[in-house]
Amino acid sequence: MSKFQRFQNIVIGLSMLISAAILILLPEGGCLYIMLFLAASLILRGISELIYYFTMARYMVGGKLILFIGAVFFDFGFFTLTLSDESKLFVLAYLLGFHAFAGLVNVLRALEAKRYKSTSWRINMAQGVASILTVLICMIFSHNETLLVYCYCAGMIYSAALRIYSVFKRTAVVYIQ
Amino acid sequence: MQIDFHYYATYCSAYLAGYSHEDCLAICYSAQFTDCCTRTLLSTIGGPAEAATTQLQLEMMDARTDILGLQDITRIWASFHFLPRDLKADPGKGSRIYKAKYRLICGPNGDLLVKTVNLAKDKSLQAAGIAMHVLADTWAHQYFAGTPSQVINNTDYWFFELLPAEASGDSADSGDSKENGDAKKSFTERRITFRHNPTGKDDLDKGIYTGTVYQLEENSVMSLGHGRAGHLPDYSFMRYKYLPAWGKYEEVIKDNPSDYYKAFCQMVYAMRYLRGDYSAFETGRYDTEKVSPYETEIKEIPCADWKAFGEKLSGCEIPDFDANRYCAEYKQASEDDKDDTFLGSYIDAALAQKTMVTNQIFQSDNLLAGYSVEYSESRFLGIRDFIHYVEHKRKKENA
Repeated sequence: MSKFQRFQNIVIGLSMLISAAILILLPEGGCLYIMLFLAASLILRGISELIYYFTMARYMVGGKLILFIGAVFFDFGFFTLTLSDESKLFVLAYLLGFHAFAGLVNVLRALEAKRYKSTSWRINMAQGVASILTVLICMIFSHNETLLVYCYCAGMIYSAALRIYSVFKRTAVVYIQ
Repeated sequence: MQIDFHYYATYCSAYLAGYSHEDCLAICYSAQFTDCCTRTLLSTIGGPAEAATTQLQLEMMDARTDILGLQDITRIWASFHFLPRDLKADPGKGSRIYKAKYRLICGPNGDLLVKTVNLAKDKSLQAAGIAMHVLADTWAHQYFAGTPSQVINNTDYWFFELLPAEASGDSADSGDSKENGDAKKSFTERRITFRHNPTGKDDLDKGIYTGTVYQLEENSVMSLGHGRAGHLPDYSFMRYKYLPAWGKYEEVIKDNPSDYYKAFCQMVYAMRYLRGDYSAFETGRYDTEKVSPYETEIKEIPCADWKAFGEKLSGCEIPDFDANRYCAEYKQASEDDKDDTFLGSYIDAALAQKTMVTNQIFQSDNLLAGYSVEYSESRFLGIRDFIHYVEHKRKKENA
């Protein structure tokens, strides 16, 4: 990892931690901010797909598909912005969809890892169970905006921690002539 | 390539190169073990994780596709299964990152192959086995890169199997069948259908094969190596044509029987070089002299029954491959004695190959396999697993 990439990861990780802390401290109206954040993510994803097309995918056989996908993401991001009145519903749908899928995949991976006698199955299982518990909590307390905000923040803190951890990991391969 | 070639054909080529039966077994075991030495296996025997030469499906599903994860994947697959042919290749188009990926496309007779074979010179039989695995895979896996990349490794619906005309009866002859280029009189085409069930078996009769599912992300592990083309490059009997993602809509025809025969002849040549029969290893040279007496027999082996051929050559039985054969020895050895075990030598050779390839990729201003740092006695900057490797190497040099 280059110094710039390390710096980038630290900045993004810290920004995520600060955002999560602000949302936890001021949860009122948090769903609106989360929705704005998600809309911005979709728009950025659309832009990155378009950049990907113009720098790489245009040289690929069948690469035009990427151009269309980039345009769709870009457009969907703006569409999301128009849903500010229903921000709580949008955040709830996101949390349910994301954690249900992640939980299922983690549990299946854990079972497979256990079959191979790999030691990584416990962490996979723990992550899967945590995701499924999050889904259950979101469903039971779907009317509680504060709790939805907390759930979203927990995921954000976890991602930030992983990002910052990767900065301090040794990565170079030693070579002796 | 599969066990038939990496284990049994490697045994045959080692025997033709002049090795004894026992040495041949050590070489072919090491060649095949390169497809088994995963982090999961190493964790069960207490070996260094960085010595992994391959990844299990579940390991890849767990692998992160951030920059560190991608570099780790690339180190493993480019070093042992998709050795880049030309690290200075110029596609004449694309951004810097596109060019970096393009330069990792695997192919035979590249400069890195020479370095790989030279690295095994005067080293252990395990090192020779690893080099033979890498060499053989440069033929089987050519046109694909050992890094997750949609723009390099993707394939589409334009994928046809080339069937010998006499073998493609009415049932195999689909509506897409037509006469084909050079093979006008001898081959017909059958469109290949890919399905994405990882537990499903390939249906050779119907031309239905398992490949990875298409993913939008450039760096998805689904676009690693020949995943999108399924096991087709690994089948010794397979001939097919398709449009590689990087190929400007020009068809590529892959003739595995011909390529595998060349791989076999080149392995014999490489191992004769390792034994000292030649003064240098040169690309584009094949030991047809040693192999030609058996050419017809090799080419007529149905689905390559290399085991029977090897046993006929040496007159000795070749035991079935057992990935755990040397695990107990390594596990039970004391810390000081581990390096002297069979797997200890294998791990040493694997780390050497990985550092060499990573260093070469890094030296070509390509960061896809990560950073490579020169060894410094005062301050160790690299991944901790390499400390032991470096110390071991120093110890051997001093001795």
